[in-house]
Amino acid sequence: MDEDVLALAIVFAVWALLAAAYALVPMFDMPAAARVWGAGAAVFLALALWVLVSIGKAARGRRGARAPR
Amino acid sequence: MEHLEISAALARAPARDKALLKSLFAAALATLAAGVVAGALVALTRGGATAPAPENGYRLLTSHGVSAFFFWLYFAQAALLLALVMAHGRARPALALRAFAWLGGALMLAGFAATQAGTWLGAPLLYDGEPDLAQDDRDHALLFYAGYLGLALGLACIALSAIATAIAGKAERGGAPWSAVTFGAVAWAGLILVSGVAMLNTFLPAVLWAAGAGAPPTDHSTGWHILFHNLHYLPLMGTVLVWYALARDYVGAGSLFGERFSKLVFALYLIFVPPTSLYHMFLEPGLAPLVRALGSVLSLFVGVPTIAAFLVIVISLEARARAAGRRGAFGWARALPWGQPAADALAIAVLSLALGGTFSFVLIQEKLAGLLSDTFFVPAYFHFLTVGTVSLTLLAGIAHAMPGLGGHAPPLRRLLRALPYAIGAALLVFALAGVVGGLTGLPRRALDVSYDGQAPALWRTISIVVGAAGAVMATAVLAYALILLGGLARLGARAAAPPARAIAPPPERAVVRYSAWSAPASVAVLILAIYAATALAFELMHALPVLASGSGH
Repeated sequence: MDEDVLALAIVFAVWALLAAAYALVPMFDMPAAARVWGAGAAVFLALALWVLVSIGKAARGRRGARAPR
Repeated sequence: MEHLEISAALARAPARDKALLKSLFAAALATLAAGVVAGALVALTRGGATAPAPENGYRLLTSHGVSAFFFWLYFAQAALLLALVMAHGRARPALALRAFAWLGGALMLAGFAATQAGTWLGAPLLYDGEPDLAQDDRDHALLFYAGYLGLALGLACIALSAIATAIAGKAERGGAPWSAVTFGAVAWAGLILVSGVAMLNTFLPAVLWAAGAGAPPTDHSTGWHILFHNLHYLPLMGTVLVWYALARDYVGAGSLFGERFSKLVFALYLIFVPPTSLYHMFLEPGLAPLVRALGSVLSLFVGVPTIAAFLVIVISLEARARAAGRRGAFGWARALPWGQPAADALAIAVLSLALGGTFSFVLIQEKLAGLLSDTFFVPAYFHFLTVGTVSLTLLAGIAHAMPGLGGHAPPLRRLLRALPYAIGAALLVFALAGVVGGLTGLPRRALDVSYDGQAPALWRTISIVVGAAGAVMATAVLAYALILLGGLARLGARAAAPPARAIAPPPERAVVRYSAWSAPASVAVLILAIYAATALAFELMHALPVLASGSGH
């Protein structure tokens, strides 16, 4: 996997785990924190997907350019 | 890949993108000027030299906090984010989603105007905008809160443009990995987006309430703590990214540890943001003891990403200078580009980070947080970080990029080189006096601390010192901002175009043979200083015959 996508995916996983902990572990009970870190997880997931799609488009473009006409 | 210095790369950007960057830089410097003028007046009031009506004194304090801590820092970060991602992310610098970036700048400008109008026409709410203070004047509070929403949405628009620019650059290179600076900029933009969400989470309920469309916000302070935690990391992340990019321009090469390792360090900022946030909750009365203990332990990791980035940058600079023949314990430091104004600003920024970092670790101790959070200890330590570290770095970044935008260097070069030292000296006096005041209980948000003669005599002396040093510091920062505004207006000399350089692929075997011990030794000294300052603060607190509790910062 592309190293940039991998790094963003790891950030998503950490934020999603923390958001889940703030939302679900009674000891924390911090819905506002869960909201913000959860939204942050969504931001980094979207970012990783955006980069992934762009890499896919670039690869298809390269293959298209090499294909015989 | 051929690497151009930032200003040389920006010189090749389309005129409309240069116009946007110049507009954002100008807005940043104008809001800084407004913020430090208000700050100087607050300092003079605190020192007893002026005595505005109490409400106007708090308006000045609100205006200072909102202008300097929010709009200056975020206009400057937005502009430098776009500059870095254009210069490093694309072969031919140009913005993607350009309309979003312009819209973002306009929203931020409208936000600034709204917060100032709300402050000067209505009740002063201070920069956290506590809704309890706005009960009697919701119309003007609505303006103030809406200004923060403008900032949040504007930042989000600019961050999206920056991310789209980096992705366009990646696509142009057939999906090849980003450079470390581009990856760092994308991570920074991601954190800006999240901070925009945190700002909405904090201020949207207040907007709805002030507009008569919602219930009174019940959880404003928790939302503020979460936002504030982001605002601790965000400018520091930008700061180390600017250090990294400028160091790369200065020596013509990147990190010795390789691009991938630098990306890991920038990613650490994002990974450490959520778990280290618990210490902001130390003053919440219902917090479970286990969460307090966990927060204490996790707070120790708050500086890890910044220390890691510092090690990468300074070790790389030192090893390269030694490989180039610099000898002696600190001979490598003489190889730095001291003739450039940005280098002087960065030197003071690094020293300020060490001092601010030391005192910040005192404050985040669970046992001390309640005792110190409402004292002058807080503004004392955070001015090391906000003025000494972050503001000087952002000013250095603007000065460094400026020749690429208009072809002119900032004017008054010698004064520009001297000002960081004047700012650093005044800051040192301001902050050390403030720390002493904080440890004796000097309150932070009181403009007159005489308490009808009942206050300790030391408080009066410290207030005069803090007021005088604060006014000098603000004047020097104002001078720096005005000189850079002069540079944007092309008042400086025409800048010579720096040559293009080819980056040698790291790690470089010849360079890594040289030892580089200055940075690890500095970190060891920092850890000892943190230990000593924390032990001293505990001793002083144990000696006080009082119980106290604070309301957070």
